[in-house]
Amino acid sequence: MSLRPRVVVCLDVKDGRVVKGTNFEGLRDMGDPVQLAARYEEEGADEICFLDISASREGRGTLLETVRRTAEVLFIPLTVGGGIRSADDIGPLLRAGADKISVNSAAVRDPSLLAEGARRYGSQCIVASIDAAREEDGSWRHWTHGGKTPTGLDAVEWAARCAELGAGEILLTSIDRDGVRTGYDLELTRAVADRVTVPVVASGGAGEAAHLRDAFTEGRASAALLAGILHDRLTTVGALKTALRGWGLQVR
Amino acid sequence: MRIALFDYGVGNLHSLGKALEGAGARVTVTREWGVALDLDGLVLPGVGAFSAAVQALPPDRSALREALEAGLPCLGICLGMQLLFQGSEEGSGEGIGMIPGRVRRLTARVVPQMGWNRVESASDVLFQGLPGGDEPEVVAYFANSYVCEPRDPAHVIGWTTHDGDRFASAVRRGTTWGMQFHPEKSSHQGRRIIQNFVTQVAAWREGRVAETQGGPR
Repeated sequence: MSLRPRVVVCLDVKDGRVVKGTNFEGLRDMGDPVQLAARYEEEGADEICFLDISASREGRGTLLETVRRTAEVLFIPLTVGGGIRSADDIGPLLRAGADKISVNSAAVRDPSLLAEGARRYGSQCIVASIDAAREEDGSWRHWTHGGKTPTGLDAVEWAARCAELGAGEILLTSIDRDGVRTGYDLELTRAVADRVTVPVVASGGAGEAAHLRDAFTEGRASAALLAGILHDRLTTVGALKTALRGWGLQVR
Repeated sequence: MRIALFDYGVGNLHSLGKALEGAGARVTVTREWGVALDLDGLVLPGVGAFSAAVQALPPDRSALREALEAGLPCLGICLGMQLLFQGSEEGSGEGIGMIPGRVRRLTARVVPQMGWNRVESASDVLFQGLPGGDEPEVVAYFANSYVCEPRDPAHVIGWTTHDGDRFASAVRRGTTWGMQFHPEKSSHQGRRIIQNFVTQVAAWREGRVAETQGGPR
């Protein structure tokens, strides 16, 4: 018996509200992050992830308040990502109630951020977030800024480097599959999971329960992250877990 | 009833504080041992590295150990559990030494152990009311790279296996409990464990009050 495959629910948070993008036509308000997080815990989510997409300084202040309010009612782990620029940004988020923080672009600019974060707070709370896109030659490149900026790094090698530096988990998003709902990029997920010795969270592409199953089995992911199909109420965490159990997966 | 939540200066104490308050405790967050040992219960939370946390322990561990041995209910969570032991492979420094044994690194391929895992638990007051009756079926959230190796198996009240590595995930000596998982992150089951701990704190407090009111024995 070992760890249960995890179902992680991701919420995009902007200025204290959960938002959802609709094909570049602006953001739709989806509700209060505190209430939504609590609702997903009740549905059986194993973990909640907030991705802060606030651009302003005020938005960052609001985020701390949102995390604080969420931690008061949420009794499953909470990961917070977005906008972390230095190791000094980590402490306040953890103090406010985050269990883990995820770092993307800042780690590329300054890889020592991962090492310093792990030294101060432990690897278990430092998540390296990696956005990867497939190249014609079959490899994957790492991109930042929501897939707009190529870093030139090989995504699998970068994942290994992040783990070496101190990241205790890799949040791996396929840019190609993000929002498409045709399933996770299983080859990418497996390539990273086989390369690193820290847990890998598959992200981008969830459309149905079978996609999560494949991420855990073929992709060897420790966790699968999803957002859209839950927010659109196409399914529930409970229904997904029932399906996963039916396939013999020991979810919580 | 007042519970001290010891603050090493890093990490999330928020959910744990709220879980204790939700169970009826008044929580004092402190890094003063004089304050911490004077309340009705003590919680050692679980974030940070061993050697850094050891720095926050009193230089002379004996008063702390004596308080626990005298019955002050204590719950050590994750790193807080590890601090109850004598020392750790993770870093230098001496633990509290309340439970004989040392802390070692997990031998599994994938470390940290991050996620929900089963605790094969013994029947213990802290596991009361959980599904499974006499053999409670606890599935709890872990986030750890190191685990405790108690010298005396009698101190173990829960076992967990990660990738073939079986370790003590819950220990008890007297009214000192240690849990490698995070009850405050283990949803309803975890909150029940915290509630059970708070009940133990209330019982200890009542006993002390009765003793004081009854005069010298």
